[in-house]
Amino acid sequence: MDEFNDPFPNYEMLAHHDEAHGKIARKKLWFVFWLLLIITLVEVFVGIKAPDWGLSPLFLKFFFIGFTIVKAFYIVYTFMHLGEEERWTKWLIIAPFTIFILYLIFMMTIGEGDFQKTRRIDGPIETNVSAKHSDHK
Amino acid sequence: MSEVSADVKLAGWDGGTSPLRASYGKLFMWFFLISDALTFSGFLSAYGFFRHRYSGEWPVPSTVFHHFPFLEGHHLPLLYVGLMTFILIMSSVTMVLAVEAGHRNNKRQVLVWMFATIIGGLMFVGSQAWEWSNFIKGSEDGAILYENHIYNFEVDHVTHHSNKEIVVYKQEVLSKEASAIVIAGGEPIHGANLHHNEYGHIAFADFFFFITGFHGFHVFSGVCINITIFIMAFKGVMERRGHYEMIEKVGLYWHFVDLVWVFVFTFFYLL
Repeated sequence: MDEFNDPFPNYEMLAHHDEAHGKIARKKLWFVFWLLLIITLVEVFVGIKAPDWGLSPLFLKFFFIGFTIVKAFYIVYTFMHLGEEERWTKWLIIAPFTIFILYLIFMMTIGEGDFQKTRRIDGPIETNVSAKHSDHK
Repeated sequence: MSEVSADVKLAGWDGGTSPLRASYGKLFMWFFLISDALTFSGFLSAYGFFRHRYSGEWPVPSTVFHHFPFLEGHHLPLLYVGLMTFILIMSSVTMVLAVEAGHRNNKRQVLVWMFATIIGGLMFVGSQAWEWSNFIKGSEDGAILYENHIYNFEVDHVTHHSNKEIVVYKQEVLSKEASAIVIAGGEPIHGANLHHNEYGHIAFADFFFFITGFHGFHVFSGVCINITIFIMAFKGVMERRGHYEMIEKVGLYWHFVDLVWVFVFTFFYLL
């Protein structure tokens, strides 16, 4: 290998750790497991009970999407070890999605996601079949 | 093996230290996952736009997915998919434990945890197949297709039994006379496929099959890769290399599959 004068160190060798460190790492992993499990159980419970409780759809959207982002954060940060990567690696991976989410919010609020605008272009949509049936009454 | 110690100089090129301090294999797994995640983001965004556009005809997930194995006839929304989520999170944990064992060069533990991960993945794919078959088969009563619109039978919210003489269109209960016209003139349909969907708008079925199918395909290929890695570890390939980074790279892919499911679970089943 020396004749190639490879200046790159074997980064994969740096990931090794001893038993003591492994014990701490495992404790953290199981903590995240229980957290994800509890969040999922809460979500399922609320999802089942939501029609009875009469919670507003907007609240449920924020509730579920908020918890989803919390879960996604823990999966990426501890399970995928992104928390242990360099600062620039984190940015490299998170930045595209930050831009995408901002773009999506733009699309949904002031962009083409506003269907009131597109409806005017399409012309009125008549799908009110129940109104048609009221003639037969 | 220990040619790289703690005091190694992380010189990447003449300019100084390597900025990312990671092997190219791992970095390129990350880059692949970024593009794959953007693909899924595109699918889920399209789903969101369609759902908003056809919100009146969109099925309520808890009325579609309420089956549980060995408990036929009970109305148990979300429980089965909650179990599937648990299976996938569990297999994600066993995967990360395999990675952790790899960091300690513990071959036996790597094999044990990898085996558990493969079993979890197979259980998940099987659950998804069961979920699909229920969706394709549909409910006992089915629905009525009349002039390209889906009419569902009115369902009692307490007993979950349907009244076969009254139909509902876009969550609006029709009169007995109107219902009779629809039932007489319409075509009874069962289940969902790419031509019709008894639960509501056809796009829901299309998106369901496409997105969960694409995710299921990821899980299936993940299981295949896991089996390959398991055999490699068993034969001692990683032991000879002196490190188990291969487990880590495959682990990234596997966690990504779990991550996508977290979003699919929210957008298809919870909202």
